[in-house]
Amino acid sequence: MNDTRQFGDLATQLVTESRRSTQTDNLLKYNDSLVRSIIREQRDLEKAAQTLAIEADPDNLPPALLIYQTAISRNKRCLLAYHTHRLDHLKDMYWAVGGALPHILSNSDIRGKLSPHEVDYLRQYNSTVMEFRGEFSYELDIMAGITNPPKDLLVLVHVVRDCGVIQTEQGSIDFQKDQRFMVRRADIEHLIVQGYLEEVS
Amino acid sequence: MVYLPPPHLTTVTRTSYGEAYNSILMAHRRSPLTSASSVIMLVSPDVDALCAARMLADLFKQDDVAYRTIPVSGISELQTVRNDLISVAELHALILLNMGGVLDLPSEEWFGGFNSQMTVHVIDSARPQNLASLFGTGEKGDRIVVWDDGEAEKLAEEHKALEALMFEPDPDSEDDSNYNSDDAPEDDEDEEEEYESSSSANGKRRSLGEGERRGKRRRTDGERRVTRMSRDERETYEHRLNKHYTSGTWHGQSASATIYLLATVLERVDNDLLWFAILGLTFQYTTARISRKKYEEFHSIYYDEVFRLNPPLPSGDKTQISLSPDDFSVRTTDELRFMLFRHWTLYDAMFHSSYIASKLGIWQDKGRKKLTGLLAKMGFSLQQTQQQYTHMDIDLKRDLVDRLDKVAPEYGMVELSYPSFMRCFGYRGQPLSASDAVEGISALLDVNTGVAIEIEVEGARNGGEWFGGGRPWQAPGTGRESKRQRDDERENIPPGSQAAAKAIKVKPIEGEDNQEDVEKEKWWVKNFWTAYDALTDIGPLQQSLKLSMSVHRAIIRTGTSVIDKRDIRSNRNHHVVVLTQGPDLAMFSHPGILSRLALWLVSAVREGSSHSRRTKRKSLPFVVACLNESTSSYLVVGVTAALDFDDVRKNEFSLSFLFAKERCNARTRHGSFDTSVLEINKDDLKLFLETLCEEQDG
Repeated sequence: MNDTRQFGDLATQLVTESRRSTQTDNLLKYNDSLVRSIIREQRDLEKAAQTLAIEADPDNLPPALLIYQTAISRNKRCLLAYHTHRLDHLKDMYWAVGGALPHILSNSDIRGKLSPHEVDYLRQYNSTVMEFRGEFSYELDIMAGITNPPKDLLVLVHVVRDCGVIQTEQGSIDFQKDQRFMVRRADIEHLIVQGYLEEVS
Repeated sequence: MVYLPPPHLTTVTRTSYGEAYNSILMAHRRSPLTSASSVIMLVSPDVDALCAARMLADLFKQDDVAYRTIPVSGISELQTVRNDLISVAELHALILLNMGGVLDLPSEEWFGGFNSQMTVHVIDSARPQNLASLFGTGEKGDRIVVWDDGEAEKLAEEHKALEALMFEPDPDSEDDSNYNSDDAPEDDEDEEEEYESSSSANGKRRSLGEGERRGKRRRTDGERRVTRMSRDERETYEHRLNKHYTSGTWHGQSASATIYLLATVLERVDNDLLWFAILGLTFQYTTARISRKKYEEFHSIYYDEVFRLNPPLPSGDKTQISLSPDDFSVRTTDELRFMLFRHWTLYDAMFHSSYIASKLGIWQDKGRKKLTGLLAKMGFSLQQTQQQYTHMDIDLKRDLVDRLDKVAPEYGMVELSYPSFMRCFGYRGQPLSASDAVEGISALLDVNTGVAIEIEVEGARNGGEWFGGGRPWQAPGTGRESKRQRDDERENIPPGSQAAAKAIKVKPIEGEDNQEDVEKEKWWVKNFWTAYDALTDIGPLQQSLKLSMSVHRAIIRTGTSVIDKRDIRSNRNHHVVVLTQGPDLAMFSHPGILSRLALWLVSAVREGSSHSRRTKRKSLPFVVACLNESTSSYLVVGVTAALDFDDVRKNEFSLSFLFAKERCNARTRHGSFDTSVLEINKDDLKLFLETLCEEQDG
């Protein structure tokens, strides 16, 4: 029975994968082969449907055509669901690190899980966001986190990971591990978000 | 003008702390680049420096000054930090807290080669101070600002001697005089040259190297000069300088007191700052760095401050509890010389206090009987004294001091209490006394992480719960810390990267020492910040008291066994104790704890000898060495014994250690800023101790 497959079996696998990914809150590796085989299935289905449609009497279509049709649109829905889920996850990741794209892309762990198209997508998404942000950067910084509104201009941070010399408006700062710095919040907000620094209350 | 007198000694022409602080602020605000690299605090890991750093941080925060805090554990580390910082162009104020006072800071070797706008502020309680830092002139001397407690005024003769030696050529030896007179101008030229060429990193490095070499040469030269002396006057000058440096080390005004005076001048004193200053003072007193007299001097200042800053207390019994949830006031109180007695059982508190221990001779059965006898005479049943102090009968607690005062003199304990302070923490806990807080914080500093320690679980005494009755100490769980650990140990690391991590771990076999150093550095820095955070957070502070109890238990345990086994070898000039085994060896490889043990032994032996031979009361200093198995080296601590309990004498070991080390060429390392603490290679210890003995004889 193993060999006999229903239409849409593969698509179910894909959706299951998405579901697993949501439940563990992990990004799984882009399942390229599965996506490809689903697309192949789509083509086969389409071919079959087409032959049916040509041969059949237009007034009296065979029910098989309806089944093919349903299978095709289901596969399509599954593919879309899979990709939307991934894109949502990527966008979440993007915002979680405060729009620091290089931070995501330089992480080989994450990078390995992305398909080339997704990398392109992230890049374009980033440039769109930056463009949008640039229009009114004087009035409002849409990248700023809003969970804890800042109370002070300066913030005391503890360096969790070495992050080298950072150039700021006010000069360069050499953040070395296990030291504390009183710095302008705006200068290092992104480093806190990325987990290099920690705010000390 | 390079040393600052305390505010009450200022005149129109002499500036003081306030002006120095304002100059930091001004420089900060004027400079175009005011990132956190411009003001840097270097903090040494002791309670006093910690408090001072915290206070200074508060002041800086109010003034919107961006700063950077770097914990520095010892001279070698200071050197690395210095090498890091020399390339920072924006740096204009470097603040040294409890370090560097004795170093020749204006020299090229330290901060001579730095950017000309930079000033170094030295707030150090260790004495003697380096005269070149204090009185140095010229561009390099002026940038070293020593925040002094008024003692420098009294060093006028040394000042004269220094100047005479610096600027007058030596008439006897031609080449020497040439060298000396050339020395200063040559330096200046070099400095100018350095500024010009500072744009090119290459030139800078070259001149830096030269500077270091010259610094060394000059020092050896200085030594040679000592031997070549012939002129009387010159000799007396030399003698005076030598005396200044060789008469031993002692401690002056605490760094936190200096900052407190600064805050007073700036009129920004509040209860927090006052509390930190009190902690700094109490730390100095309980670790026998200052005498009772000096303690009382500052105590009276803080005593007045407490009444100035806090609302008067309602009369009655309420003095020991917080009045409202927001009650964070500081109060005056009399502190008994019992260890953490508000948090322990009364018996334990008395048993572990070094004062009681020495007076009663607690390391013998006789002494222990005396202690129970004392308690019986006071009318405290054994059962009561074995209870947590908080659970003791309330009338007993109320009468405790009175009854002690009545009974204790029979046992020769006359100064059972000293005036101290305590602080309320709202309803989050019982008010904490200053000495308890100091104990907790220093325990955190020393052994928070890095050593496995069992602490007692409440209610597990006397087999009350399961056997064992202890649990391993875990660093106070700041959520941050534990979260980070979780991140480090994430399970779902892909197999590839895990293998890579292992490979990294396996690789540096040759550089094992190096790795160990890194490891060590990590734990002490972690301890430093935990203690720093605990200064203001009552939660970890209360937990740390348990840790402190374990530490004291270990001290008594080891001390008792040392005396029982007669492990004290007495030389003519000092006692030597070498610890090579025992359950707490790992703990005693921390200088702070080892010196506590040494102090305990000092007081124990002092009283012991005075009991037997009342006529000849001479207390010998102690040298305690402890084997550190992991590095196969010994940690050696020298402590001078004062004649009386509250007295303090200058510690001469810092120097004898240095001399002995030079004479026997032992492989040693000074891990901390205190030169009377030394790390020595396992094989060299015997030789070192012998040399030390000869040294003191000679």
